[in-house]
Parts: sequence; structure tokens; C-alpha cells
Amino acid sequence: MTVVSVRVPPAPARRSVPGRIRVISGVTAGCLVLLFAALAAGGLTVRDGLQVIGRDAGPQVVATAGLYLALSDMDAVVADVLVMGDAYERERDKATARYEQRRSEANQALLKAFELSGDNEAERRTVQSVLDGLGAYERLAGQALLLNERSPHPPGPPPEAVVRLYRQATDLMRLMLLPQAYNLTLENGTIVRRTYDDKATTVPLLRGTVVLAGLLAVGCLVWLQVYLARRFRRVFGPALLIATLAVAASTVVGAAALGQNEQALREAKSAGFDSVLALARARAISNSMQGDQSRYLLDKERADTYEHTYLDKSLSLLYVEAGNLETYHAKVADNSGGFRGLLGPELVGAKGAQVEEAYQRFQAADTTFRTLAADGRVGEAVAARLDPVSAAFGAYDRSLVALADEHESVFDRAIDRGESTLGGLWLLLPFAAGVIGLLVVTGVWPRLKEYR
Amino acid sequence: MKRALSAVAALVAMVAVVAGCGTGGPESIVDKDTLVIAVRSDLPYVGFRKPDGSFEGFDVDVARYVAGKLGKDFSLVPVLAADREKVLVDGRADMVVATYTISQDRKATVLFAGPYHISYQDILTRRDDPIGNVRELAGRKICEVRGANAAQRVVEERKVAAEVVPFADYQACLAGLKNRQVDAVTTNDVILAGLAMQDGSGLRLSNARFNEQRSGIGLPRGDVPGCEAVNRAITDMYQDGTAAKLLHTWFDASGLDLSTIAVPQFEGCS
Repeated sequence: MTVVSVRVPPAPARRSVPGRIRVISGVTAGCLVLLFAALAAGGLTVRDGLQVIGRDAGPQVVATAGLYLALSDMDAVVADVLVMGDAYERERDKATARYEQRRSEANQALLKAFELSGDNEAERRTVQSVLDGLGAYERLAGQALLLNERSPHPPGPPPEAVVRLYRQATDLMRLMLLPQAYNLTLENGTIVRRTYDDKATTVPLLRGTVVLAGLLAVGCLVWLQVYLARRFRRVFGPALLIATLAVAASTVVGAAALGQNEQALREAKSAGFDSVLALARARAISNSMQGDQSRYLLDKERADTYEHTYLDKSLSLLYVEAGNLETYHAKVADNSGGFRGLLGPELVGAKGAQVEEAYQRFQAADTTFRTLAADGRVGEAVAARLDPVSAAFGAYDRSLVALADEHESVFDRAIDRGESTLGGLWLLLPFAAGVIGLLVVTGVWPRLKEYR
Repeated sequence: MKRALSAVAALVAMVAVVAGCGTGGPESIVDKDTLVIAVRSDLPYVGFRKPDGSFEGFDVDVARYVAGKLGKDFSLVPVLAADREKVLVDGRADMVVATYTISQDRKATVLFAGPYHISYQDILTRRDDPIGNVRELAGRKICEVRGANAAQRVVEERKVAAEVVPFADYQACLAGLKNRQVDAVTTNDVILAGLAMQDGSGLRLSNARFNEQRSGIGLPRGDVPGCEAVNRAITDMYQDGTAAKLLHTWFDASGLDLSTIAVPQFEGCS
């Protein structure tokens, strides 16, 4: 090519040299624009992912799970008080205090959930509906408690009128309010999964584009320098040389930053969020199980149903093949490891082993409790429910929280790391683009000027 | 310049194609144009095939609503209780809306969206029979429809020593009840209510409501996006009042307790 341009007459050659410089510079500029556009797009994509997963849906899972727990525990506490009868004065005071505390927690969680729901209409409607229902629940529960106080009875099932009132309250809670809170938690799991899947395909694509555009830009810059060196017999154009190095560095740093962000998102999702969500759901289901224990004592007519839902929930947490509660108890007590169900995959590590042990102890306490109730020793069954069973449940619940905390800190660390990497990228991007642009112009402009 | 740009474009497109191919896995119902939905054909008011070959019932309307929300055309195919898992596994149906009770062992092969309705296990008897709760089934003959687990639950879970007599479907079961081959039919209350309404001879629903039965929408295992989309459709169905309307349309006359109609707690798609 050079040979050809040397042979052509001087005038056209003089026009074709700046023309050629312009073409090569134009292609270089195009590659640079593509490089920085891809980096910016990658940064924006990652920012959106970190925002949705780390700051919206992630915290919303915690808020809505907190709402479920507070609500579910309110209903369990009411059932506890109703089966205490005219004994357990101290426990009743404690239960009342606990009810108040849970109610305030529920209110806080509702506020938080509403705030985090942003412009998601369906979520807002759900929060609103829970708020409305909670008022109605408190009225019914209050009536049941009042009537119970006025009709003294020994520990065990309260009089029929009290049971009927409580049934209305608990139906409202279990069939209308709790499902909505639980589904909100799940919906946020959906949002995180969709966002993650979306980012997990887009970010590598953009990262590939960055590498490709970077390589092309470096190639173009080298081409430009070789051309200029030959045309103008200069070995070095310092500006273009630095620009080439800067483009190479930006490509490497940018692609690495996007790669780290991809990794951060993956870790936040797989090692953090998925477990946090599973454990939040497990805690919610577990809490309603311990409520089912009190309800089983309280409502004879529905005792079978409450025992069934207890078994159903147990099976969904840790699955063993069991057609009835007795078999389930026995198999959970024997079995060690290899469970299916919601908790199954979470039972790894030291904290996971603690959860498994605590769960086994809780189910063992339930075994004793059911035996007492089935033998008609109602007073003893109430005592078992209020002390050993509750204590075992408390220990189990705390072990779940400890395990969830572990995953939550993994989640938080990954999100923080992603955000700080992204912050670095945002700092670098305009600076690098500006400097490189300037260097290219500095390298090319004087050469073009020679033809003016 | 143009050549260089088109080369860049071609390379970018290649990267896109390679990355796009990476997301494998089974095809989600979300990506299909038309859905094959399996419904029951033997349950009046729930999933029933009329003599002209068309289907009607609560489940059928739920299927129609969900398909509409997903923006899909659909065709209905009949499925019996025993085949619900099979049609999903071998791909004959994309979705099963057939009073399919969610259970942990079924979850090993099927993914459940929903539940879209919570019903209870109940007992249907002849008018003169005083059976009032599950314990009074002890020593009595109860019908079991192949593929349904309701009768087994009475014996195994509630430990009531009833004698289980197998039948092919609920029509045969009902005939057996009326000619005293069995004393009771026990399954989801909606199924019993539908059978009693169609029969019209005054069979009695005991309202014992002893087990909670969560009816889910069966999907091929692994179709998490599909499951999540169906759950959103179910939420909409309750929030826009369609669920209440459908339940009242089909079961107002049945004596079923419809006082609480609310979106059920979902099973979760993972």
C-alpha cells in the first residue's frame, strides 16, 4: 500500500495522507467510543443489579419475613394465653408483654415494607390489605381474650364461646394475613432471581464487548502509529504511545471490574440471598408450627386439622417419608443428614449442624407433648407446651437466626464489595476517556496540521 | 471504515449469540406460544367433560384465567388422578390444573405453583348415615380412587381403621356409595360438593374438614420462571376478585363454607 502511494503523483498523495490519517483516527475513535460505551453500559447494568438485589429486594425479604414472624407470633401468644386458663399468672403477664412487643414489631415491619415496595403496585396493595386486616384481627383477638378472662377455666381448652371467637381471629390471621406476608417474601425472591438471571447474561456480554473493543482500539492505535512513523519518519509519537497503554490498561481494569462485579452478584445471590430467603421462609413456617401446637390444644374440634398442618409444615422443612406424625418424629430422631425439604440444603457447616440438632430436640419435645395430649392429660400438656416445648422452639429459632446471620453477612460483604468496585469504575471511566481522547488528538492533530 | 465497523458489529453479534446459547435448561411455559393444560374430566363443577367434549368447572376456569394472564393460547386435555404426574413428566401437558394436592413426595417429580385454592378433606355419606367426623369412619368401608391419596390419609395419618375399597374414578365411587358397597367417600370438599350437586339425590357432606388440602398447579420440575409467573397470575386472580367470583359461581349452591376467600400461602418455586 505504501508502495502504491509513493508512486502516485504528489498532489493526490498529499490529499490522501491526511485523508487516510482521518480514516484511521475515525476507526480508532469508533472503537474507543464502543469501549467506553460498553464499560458504561456494564457499569449501569451492575449498578442496577446491586441496587435491586442489595438495596431493594434483599432488605424487603428481611422486612416481610419480620412481618410474618411478628404476626404469626401474635396469634400463637393469644392461643397460649387462652389455654393457660386461670393458672400461670406470671406467664400470662409475660405473654401479654410479648403480644404488645410483636404488635409493635409488626407495625414497624409494615412501615418498612411499604417504604421498600417503591412503585410496585401489587406489593403496596398487599401491605395495605395486611394493615386493614390487622385492625380486624386485633378486635377479634381482644374479644376472645376478654371473654376468656370473664370465664375462668382450668388450663386447657377454653369454653366454646371463646373458641369460636378465637377461630374467627386465627382464620383471619392464618388464612388471610400471613399468606400475604409470606407471598411478599416470595415475590422478592422472584425479583432477585429475575434480576440476577438478567444481569448474569448481560454483564458477561458487555464484558466481552469491552475486551473486543479494547483490543480493536489498541490495534487501531498501533496501526495509526505505524502509519505515522512511516509517513513522517518519526519513530515515537509519545502521546499516541501513552494513549495505547492507557487504552490497554482501561480495557484490563474495566473488564476486571465487571468480572469482579459479576462475581460479587453471584456470591450475593447464591451464597447469601438464596440461603437468607430459605431460612426466612423456614423461620416463618416454624413459627406457625409452634402456634399450631397451642391451637391443637385449644380447639378440640379442629385438633386433627392442626395436627395435620403441623405435620405438613414439618415435612416441608425437613422431608422424610412419613405418613403420620408418629413416624415423622421417629425418623427425624433417628436420621442424621441427607434430608430433603426447605431446610435440607442449608444444614451444612457448624451452624447448620446446630440447627439440625435444635430441630430434632424441638420435634422430640413435640413427641412428649402430643403423647400427653393424646392421653388426655391436658394440664400436663399445657405445661409442656408452655415450658419445654417453647424452650426447645426458642433454641431452634435462635439457631436459625445464627445461621441466617452468617449468610446475611456474606450477602452484605458481597454487595459492599460490588459497590466499591463499581465506585472505582465510575471514577476511572470519565477520567480515562478524557485523557485518552486528549492524547489521541495531541498525537494526530500536529500531523494533520502539516498539511494545512 | 465501513468494513472495520461491520467487522466490529459482526464480532459483537457473535459474542451475543454465544452468550445467548449458554442459558440452557428446559423450555419454560413462559416461552411457549400455546399451552396444553390437563384438567380433570370426571369431577362435576371442578373439572368435567360435557357430552359435547368441552370442559367446565372451577379448575377449568382457573386454567383459563392463568393462561390468559400469561398471554397464551391453550388447549385442554383430560387427565385422571393417577396420570397427573405422568403427563407432566413425559411432556404431554405443560400444566396440570386438576385439584392436585401439593405434597412433599410429589414435589420430587413435579413443581407446584400456587396453591390456587385451599380446601379441606371432608366426608360424603348417604343421607341416613350419621358419620360426623373422621374417627367415625373406623370399621366402615371408604372408597379410594386410584392415584388420589385421600383415603390413605385417613388410615395412615389419622390412624382410623377404615376399610379402603379401590375404584377407578369418582363416578364408580359414587355408584358404590349409593348401592352400599362403601359407606363413605372422602376427599377434597370441592370434589365432594361437586359430586353431590350433580347427583342431586341428597347425599350428605359432613363438613368434618379434617385435613387442609392445598391444590396447586403442577408444572414440569425446574420451570421456576413459569412457576413464578403462575403465582403472580394467582395473586392477580384473588386481588381482582375473579377467584371469589368463580368460587361463588361454582359452589354457592353446594353448602361449602365460602366465608374466607383469600390468596393462599404459596409453596414457593425453588
